[in-house]
Amino acid sequence: MTRGVLAVGAYAPANRVPAEAFEEAWGSFDAPGVETKAVPDADEDALTMGVQAARRALRAGDTDGRDLEFLSFASTNPPLAEEDLTPRLGSYLAVPTDTTRRTHTGSTRAGAEALFDALEADGPALVVVADCPEGEPDDSREHAAGAGAAALLVGDDAPATVADHESFTDPRPGTRFRQRGSDDVDGLDIGTYDRAAFTEPVEAAVASIEADDDFEAVALQAPNGKLPYRTNLENEAIAAVETVSELGDTAAASVPLSLARAFEEGHDRTLAVAWGSGAGATAFLVEGTAPVEASLEGTNELNYPGYLRRRGDIVGEKPDGGAAHVPVPTWRRSLPQRHRHESGVCPECGAVAFPPDGACPGCRSLVEFDPVEPALEGTVDAATTIGQGGAPPEFAEQQARQGAFGVAVVRFEAGDGEVSLPMQVVGDGGAVGDTVRAVPRRVYVEEDVPRYGLKALPQD
Amino acid sequence: MREAHVVGAGQSKYGSFPDESYRSLFRTAVENTMASVDDGMDVDEIDEAVVGTLGVGGRQLGLPGPAVTEHVGLHGVPVTRVENACAASGYAVRQAVQAVRSGMADVVLAGGVEVMTDLSGDAVRYWLGVSGETEWERMSGTTFAGVYAQMASAHMREHGTTKEQLSHVAVKNHDNGAKNPKAQLGFTCTLEDAVNAPAVAEPLTLYHCCPTTDGAAATLVVSEDVVEEYTDEPVRVAGVGAASDNVGLFQRDSYNSVPASRMAGDTAYERAGMGPEDLDFAEVHDCFAIAELMSYEDLGFCERGKAGDFVESGATRMDGDLPVNTSGGLKSKGHPIGATGAGQVVEAFDQLKGRAGDRQLEDPRVGMTHNVGGSGGAAVVHIFEKEEVDA
Repeated sequence: MTRGVLAVGAYAPANRVPAEAFEEAWGSFDAPGVETKAVPDADEDALTMGVQAARRALRAGDTDGRDLEFLSFASTNPPLAEEDLTPRLGSYLAVPTDTTRRTHTGSTRAGAEALFDALEADGPALVVVADCPEGEPDDSREHAAGAGAAALLVGDDAPATVADHESFTDPRPGTRFRQRGSDDVDGLDIGTYDRAAFTEPVEAAVASIEADDDFEAVALQAPNGKLPYRTNLENEAIAAVETVSELGDTAAASVPLSLARAFEEGHDRTLAVAWGSGAGATAFLVEGTAPVEASLEGTNELNYPGYLRRRGDIVGEKPDGGAAHVPVPTWRRSLPQRHRHESGVCPECGAVAFPPDGACPGCRSLVEFDPVEPALEGTVDAATTIGQGGAPPEFAEQQARQGAFGVAVVRFEAGDGEVSLPMQVVGDGGAVGDTVRAVPRRVYVEEDVPRYGLKALPQD
Repeated sequence: MREAHVVGAGQSKYGSFPDESYRSLFRTAVENTMASVDDGMDVDEIDEAVVGTLGVGGRQLGLPGPAVTEHVGLHGVPVTRVENACAASGYAVRQAVQAVRSGMADVVLAGGVEVMTDLSGDAVRYWLGVSGETEWERMSGTTFAGVYAQMASAHMREHGTTKEQLSHVAVKNHDNGAKNPKAQLGFTCTLEDAVNAPAVAEPLTLYHCCPTTDGAAATLVVSEDVVEEYTDEPVRVAGVGAASDNVGLFQRDSYNSVPASRMAGDTAYERAGMGPEDLDFAEVHDCFAIAELMSYEDLGFCERGKAGDFVESGATRMDGDLPVNTSGGLKSKGHPIGATGAGQVVEAFDQLKGRAGDRQLEDPRVGMTHNVGGSGGAAVVHIFEKEEVDA
């Protein structure tokens, strides 16, 4: 019985901004080696990206969230600085309430730490690593900052195992940090000091690994597209699986994403090295490969103003109000519906109810519904587009950042019946008859509390 | 069960009135109502009042009923506030009819008031959101216009209804509203204006949507025992129907009709012993153009799916077989939410009494009002018949 990685899922936002857009706006681009970078949509963050990756990992591993005995989440940029997000993550995945949970943050090594935590645990475990660092618009770290998520399903009898792992630390404060209360990653930008803070721990950790240096793939932390190649590791092996050139700096998710790429391309001996500011590095040797379901393609190229809009730099605050306010306790009662569209089957007549409370829509009886989860793909039965300025005020900021969006009534199969739900459509698409897929997105933030739900993504 | 009659009805002008309060607007409506009673009536003859309102300038008031009735000198009588979103005062009129028919009162004032233009556009959207399905539909990011636009999309997909046919509703109602001195938007528009106007929520354009409005309207409903004290030509309440439905569109069986309208209409026809063929005119809820088209089908004016052809044929114009929204409707006259249902009754009363001025129909005998709450969570239908009382 060998515990290791059973399957991997990977996800990146569809938005891409090319380096040229920065050069046109700033006269230069300060993230060498980054050709394009992934930009979270206005309603995406580390949690929603993490759910996307997690769903893919579970599918690739033919596993259900209900079977998990361990769940961890890692990110340097969680949507809330203090709140355990694994309950919300677990809710999306229907993870049992008594499953052990861990959160790792505070360093770009958080993803690797989460993996080793899961390897030490018992039973099926899921490690979800998602990140979307930010910086000041004119800062080199912001020029590099990307977004993405990877999830590693860990368990026994795994096709990919960790043969050895070693860590090395050496105090190098100021190389990469985020001040308390700030959204922006910063650094002192002391050239040789910064470079040594990266290369020396990486090389020291790798040197401790008991293995020869014959690696086809090196999944190395990539704060930008240049620094990894300043180490003494084989450049071709780094280039073979790097994601920084197309996704940008994905921080804690950088190594797991490269590992996903290594598996996807069939490399069965991968050296992974996670670096974290502070400074320290963890190197581990992965033998074998695991099934991967990944969607890392960029389908929507942004210009620079479009990128700033997504970031929220050039939009105003949402207006005051709240007449249709839904309090958090009310919201919380409906989380199985928000996260999984959980519906109910009437034991009397078999009709499907959403939400599964109140009188049955079929026979009007007051019954206790049997839970059923609708399919993720559905069909649009009624639709419109809410144009710029026409959204309810709670959605004004999102609309300012993202533009017009569609809203639709979508019909999903649910058990032996069907259920219809109102859904926001990602982008302004969605016509009657279209097929859409339910994807996790942030609905809005009110009273400083992010609310998450499902939105409809048109399928080709 | 006693008969109920309308002996008076009046309203304020509809529009934007920065210098008016909700009380002063209601006072204007009540004064015009009292003045419309053939043989006169004093306020102290009123036994009871029912007031429809959603909110005042976006504020929620706990006792808006007494607040407006005290302002018009109506002291000591029971006052009830009715809140059913846009159908608030339609239900207020229904409650007045119930009070009269049950014998609890002989003279009931039923009306409504709303002040909507005190608010910014953002605040109006916030506020109006309370009238929809707030936990799911609203959280999908949609508005009332969005929900009706979804209905339009389903109607277009199912029945081939076109944007031009939606626009015919706007052209007709603006033609009618231009003849109504109380209307908020007293101008006419062309089919091209309506089709090519900026989109509010596809496929609905600006001309397919009603404005936000200040205004008040009132009616006087009396019993058969006292009707002769006020008029020789009362307007009888021949039939009343009301129904509710799931607040959220997604929870209904149909996305291209308003089932509550159909149920309310069926009940009203049955109680009146009449059918759509007996109507000489109708005031229907046209908050959006698709709402008027769906009402044609729900109320039996035409076959299911044929509303687009029906409006295009001219059947619902002033000179058509069944004129609809001679007042200009919500589209042109305006939609002060709490006053809308009572305002429709004002138009029906004026038509049946021959007081509709430039938009007067030729000797109408039977008219209908149809008032919808929200996107169809509630609906109320009244059928009124001109009647002469033996001297």
